Amino acid sequence: MVSEAIFETINRLLSNVLLDSKLLNENEIYTEILPGNIKPACLNIYSNIDCVLIDLFGNDLSQSHSEKIIIYYTFSVRSSNTLITLFTQVPKDDILQLESISGEIPSAALYEREVQDMYGISFLDIPDSRELVHHGNFPLKVYPLRKAFKVNTRLDFERREQEFVSISGTGVFEVPVGPVHAGIIEPGHFRFSVAGEPIINLEAKLYYVHRGLEKLAENQNFMRVLLLSERISGDETYTNSLAYCQAVEKLGGITYLSERALYTRVIFSELERICAHLGDISGLCVDTAYVFPAGQFAMMRRWILILCEQLTGSRFLRNTNKPGGLRRDFIRDNEKIIVECMDKLEKEFKDSVNIIKNNGMFIDRVEHTGILSREIAADLNAVGPGGRASGIKTDVRKEFPYAAYGKLKFNIPEHFNCDVNCRMNVKVEEISESISLIRQALEKMPAEGPVHIEIEELIPNAFAFGMTESPRGENVHFVMTGENNTILRYKVRTPSFCNWPALCHAVKSNTLTDFPLINKSFNLSYAGNDL
Amino acid sequence: MIESILKLIIQIMITLLIAPLFTGVIRKMKAKVQHRVGASVFQPYFDLTKLFKKDLVVSGTASWIYNLAPYVYFITALAAMCCLPVVYGLTGFSFYTDLLVVVYLFVGGRIFMALAALDTGSTFGGMGSSREMLVSALVEPALFIVIITISARTEIASTNIADIYKYMAVNTGTAFTPMNILLFASTLLILIAETSRIPVDDPATHLELTMVHEAMILEYSGRHLAFIELGTYIKQLVFMTIMANILIPAGFDNSNFILGFGIYLLKLLVITVLVGLVELNTVKFRLYSIPNFAVIALVISILGFFTGFILR
Repeated sequence: MVSEAIFETINRLLSNVLLDSKLLNENEIYTEILPGNIKPACLNIYSNIDCVLIDLFGNDLSQSHSEKIIIYYTFSVRSSNTLITLFTQVPKDDILQLESISGEIPSAALYEREVQDMYGISFLDIPDSRELVHHGNFPLKVYPLRKAFKVNTRLDFERREQEFVSISGTGVFEVPVGPVHAGIIEPGHFRFSVAGEPIINLEAKLYYVHRGLEKLAENQNFMRVLLLSERISGDETYTNSLAYCQAVEKLGGITYLSERALYTRVIFSELERICAHLGDISGLCVDTAYVFPAGQFAMMRRWILILCEQLTGSRFLRNTNKPGGLRRDFIRDNEKIIVECMDKLEKEFKDSVNIIKNNGMFIDRVEHTGILSREIAADLNAVGPGGRASGIKTDVRKEFPYAAYGKLKFNIPEHFNCDVNCRMNVKVEEISESISLIRQALEKMPAEGPVHIEIEELIPNAFAFGMTESPRGENVHFVMTGENNTILRYKVRTPSFCNWPALCHAVKSNTLTDFPLINKSFNLSYAGNDL
Repeated sequence: MIESILKLIIQIMITLLIAPLFTGVIRKMKAKVQHRVGASVFQPYFDLTKLFKKDLVVSGTASWIYNLAPYVYFITALAAMCCLPVVYGLTGFSFYTDLLVVVYLFVGGRIFMALAALDTGSTFGGMGSSREMLVSALVEPALFIVIITISARTEIASTNIADIYKYMAVNTGTAFTPMNILLFASTLLILIAETSRIPVDDPATHLELTMVHEAMILEYSGRHLAFIELGTYIKQLVFMTIMANILIPAGFDNSNFILGFGIYLLKLLVITVLVGLVELNTVKFRLYSIPNFAVIALVISILGFFTGFILR
């Protein structure tokens, strides 16, 4: 009902420019606009409806429809459970360019650069037109996500200088770090401009683990793409596959899933969240050289991993989801070990949190470190614990209730000090909420019943969004189908993509020695960003 | 003459033999509180053996300073150790040296390390050098107060180790005076700062950006790294020996070598456990809080001086 009201509002607001408009999948509004009108239309929506830009991506439809590339601008109306997608067809070999919206909507900047690299669409007046995905070794005028680009193409190796923002002045140095780091962590290059210890500017050059995941998904059977979705980012395996499954379920025409499957999905999502947050808190302790609690939290994380293995045979809950439900009833006969593990965890967790919170030296390290102001967080659409610690109370579980979250009671922690301590507190409180959610789900779950509904066939040339709240925040998957149950376009936007620029702002004016701590408090995924 | 050379050789042997042990003990303590089995306390010895066998990787831009620095660092630490009395009647060249020489030997080694870290032109070397110099400059005043107080105790107020040594041999009974305990506490803090331990630095960290000492030696490998590691172990032993033998000389006047050596080892282990406990209960400081830590060490040492000479 609310979505319909918004649908009417959009038709009214854009009545002069829209070519076509429809409401699909209950809450997804798709509106076509001419390329020349896209910027005013976006700004019109952005200023008149309380929404945020959550995705901006291209889609090459040359083979099936026409010789055109479509650019989608997705806005989320978080207050009323609705997604608005404006799209426009850009003639591929035309000199026509799209107008950049990142001057007015700052969170669009990275998306526009990504589209530039991947589709060769140039944006007029883009504040920063440097390469985002490529590293100066990728041939010019090769656009990997266009249909003409074959996935097994071997490319020539080029050498172009990479540009970084350079800050000059007396005593200002550049400190390059990475992409290979001293620990066993993912690769990423950080370019710090420092005046002694304080950081003036940080630029993160990522995309070292770009695997061409979206390209690999093209023209694959939807069950094979499920495997890809599980491999987006290791510690978000379950929520990524769940987002994909939810999108595919919409495309398979399934409107109702078995209750048991929905509650199981809640339990697994929350187990993954507990596991990731425990790892993050442990990491914060390691980075401050606080040995004992670091060991405690790492131990508790292992408990959850062991529990996951007992339940599903996979420590990271891989191969558990399936479009239409679950592969098997994993919870049956295991209720007791889950409850026991939660009881044990709750007690130990409380004690360990007390230890770290009562250590003044530890609190001194995390307080007032890495402040991400509310304005910047809102402008960049910071999501997950990173956003919630800066007063941006957003959670897909509440706003776009999926699985059985609509039937369960839980609070979204919110803090306003914007520092590492707040991000840690958000995670601590989320763990307690997750434990309670798991208990509620086990109680409310019907004792018997199927956990899977077979998907016979996907509707061809249809599209849908799947959204979940991963441990790191809002997770948006867009799926468009082709003929014969294949996937034509799979666009993934993980929370890490939104939060990397936020991290670069949060470190400013902190000392270089505090960077690892701030980085850990966000704990963003490189693989999830690079795809 | 031959006797002193023999003594020197024995002291060097003892130093090399026991120096890595204490790091192993601290690591074992850390492993235990984390419910880990942890590596053997002899792991530092295995690591050193491994490093001595490995090849060197030297940056093409490195000059002679880079190649010389590990040896200078190691030799200065060893020479400093030889200045100190280990067991009654056994001191390398204590009768010719001064306690201040110990301090300056370390400064010499550190200057070479800082230059070597700058030498390769890598990112972290320069950062590490500047931080290490900051830390050492901050704790130096406290160290001087400790030395001055120690020397002021002796009859002719001398920093000569022979005089201090003589004083100790007579006054072992007065080990646990308030002055000694305060100086002991101050030296413990200096030890932590000088040997790059938590809360000033984290020797086990993998985070390049937070490193102090480790950032300087990031480029080193093989034999060079082994000498630097060994130098750091010996440096740690020097401070522990000052604490064990000079500040708390209880049981030092034992003429039985084996028994004296046993007491010495026991005291070192107690100090190691103290350092370990500090490591376990503290969190690494913000870089800008290190001056506070140095000030605490300085204040404690000044209090030690006052309790010893003014409030007596």
